Amino acid sequence: MNDRIKALYQSHILVNAKDTSHQGKLEDATHVLEAYNPMCGDRYTVSLKIVDDVIEKATFDGFGCAISKASTAVLTKQIEGKTLVEIKPFIELFHELVNELSDQSPESLTSDEDLLAFAAAREFPERKVCATLSWEELLLSLRGSMMK
Amino acid sequence: MFNPETIKQQFPIFKQKTPLGQDLVYLDNAATCQKPLAVIDRITDFYAKEYGTVGRSSYWPATETTKNYNEVRGKVQRLLNAAHVDEIVFTSGTTDAINKVANSFLRPRLNAGDVVIISEMEHHANLIPWQQICTEKGALLKVIPILDSGELDYEALESLLTNKVKLLAVTGVSNALGIKNDLLRIIKAAKGFEVPVFIDAAQSVAHSEIDVVALDCDFLVFSGHKIYGPTGVGVLFGKRERLREMAPLSYGGGIVKEVTIEAASFQQSPNKHEAGTPNIAGVIGLGAAVDFINEIGYAEISAHTKAITGYALEQLKAMEGIQVIGDVDDRAPVISFVMEGVHAHDLSTFLNEKGICIRAGHHCAQPLMHRLNLMATARISFAIYNTKADIDALIIALKETQAFLL
Repeated sequence: MNDRIKALYQSHILVNAKDTSHQGKLEDATHVLEAYNPMCGDRYTVSLKIVDDVIEKATFDGFGCAISKASTAVLTKQIEGKTLVEIKPFIELFHELVNELSDQSPESLTSDEDLLAFAAAREFPERKVCATLSWEELLLSLRGSMMK
Repeated sequence: MFNPETIKQQFPIFKQKTPLGQDLVYLDNAATCQKPLAVIDRITDFYAKEYGTVGRSSYWPATETTKNYNEVRGKVQRLLNAAHVDEIVFTSGTTDAINKVANSFLRPRLNAGDVVIISEMEHHANLIPWQQICTEKGALLKVIPILDSGELDYEALESLLTNKVKLLAVTGVSNALGIKNDLLRIIKAAKGFEVPVFIDAAQSVAHSEIDVVALDCDFLVFSGHKIYGPTGVGVLFGKRERLREMAPLSYGGGIVKEVTIEAASFQQSPNKHEAGTPNIAGVIGLGAAVDFINEIGYAEISAHTKAITGYALEQLKAMEGIQVIGDVDDRAPVISFVMEGVHAHDLSTFLNEKGICIRAGHHCAQPLMHRLNLMATARISFAIYNTKADIDALIIALKETQAFLL
């Protein structure tokens, strides 16, 4: 981990893992996703309220490591207000950010420090699955019934 | 005089540094052990100087290989104190051995309404094979529960035993918690109902002497790679009459007497149960691992790992924010713990930065973790080469992790 990424890990991932602002269940959710990693037992329920193809509200609850919890917290914060069409490239950008084989530097992909912190996963490929757990689940749902 | 530092020097992996330049502190021995030079050299020599097939050919080097392969069977027989050499069957590992006994011994004997008993602390490998056959046959899988201390509830076991029970399968040691089970008590109780007993000894053989005659178990299995030997080889001990009454564990060449298009007749065990060309190099390497254990001796091995485990427990219990799982002091060299506020995977990643290898997660024992209301623990486990300095390095790194993450 380079020093800058290490600093971001401490200042952003750990802070986001403890951020409760988007934790909980939505009473008026239109979509509920289960993100589960059978290898480690991390499990999150992501609740979405989608109106006219726009994500109005997103929350989560569940249990997991700091990386998966922070990444789910950042996901729910950042997708609010986005349209379903906008979400797919956003998730793809996140995947590129954590991809240790990417030829693009993290800084060239985004300047958002909440996102940039997850580039630390490039140094720990075995933890990439923690970073992408909820993002992957949302992408799968987008490809499935959510877009129809 | 036993000295873990000189033992460590026999393991080449510790001569190099980690990619980040530290000494390797290897504390995941319950998953797999590092290999001594004697085992590595033996495998290299086998391939380089005497490689051939086994039991099929009358030329050198195959004759030499066959002799050496069968000598390992004798070494394992003596290691387990089995009554007969033909009670030792080589498999590809513990999981393979369990599946084979499930298919070849249990399946033909199990009927709807019968019962198989396991315990709540089993590794998935000693749960799922039995579970699947019970489901298929409409039999019941009953569970010896654990107490809050992590120990088996032996009184509950006694109430589960009836003449409907067709097998009792239990581990010698919890791979997740290091709790040692009272196998003599379990087997004695089972024998009262003539229930065959299957012992998963994957976590036992590296650290403690096994005597299958004294235990009076019907089956006992373990893996080579957890006792300083190579991967891909394991042992199934079965009482002679059990192995003889069982159909071959798998079918193929090397196990037959006569074969026609319509039918085949089979040799007696152990040959009957080892179809196909076996993992010869694995077995040869396993023999070197058994020699390695015998040279040090179980008395020294047990005393050393017990001392290291005691020291680690004392250090962990003295720390703030660490909860050791399982309330027993006399445990196998396996300790699970939780660091308050830090998920085990995050802890493992941080320790890796310090060159320290621990295991994080559910340890392939999800039912046990549910019982203890835990999602994941950090697990450290020791071998003959671990030192107090390894524990000291761990404790310092745990404190640094707390400072960084909390």
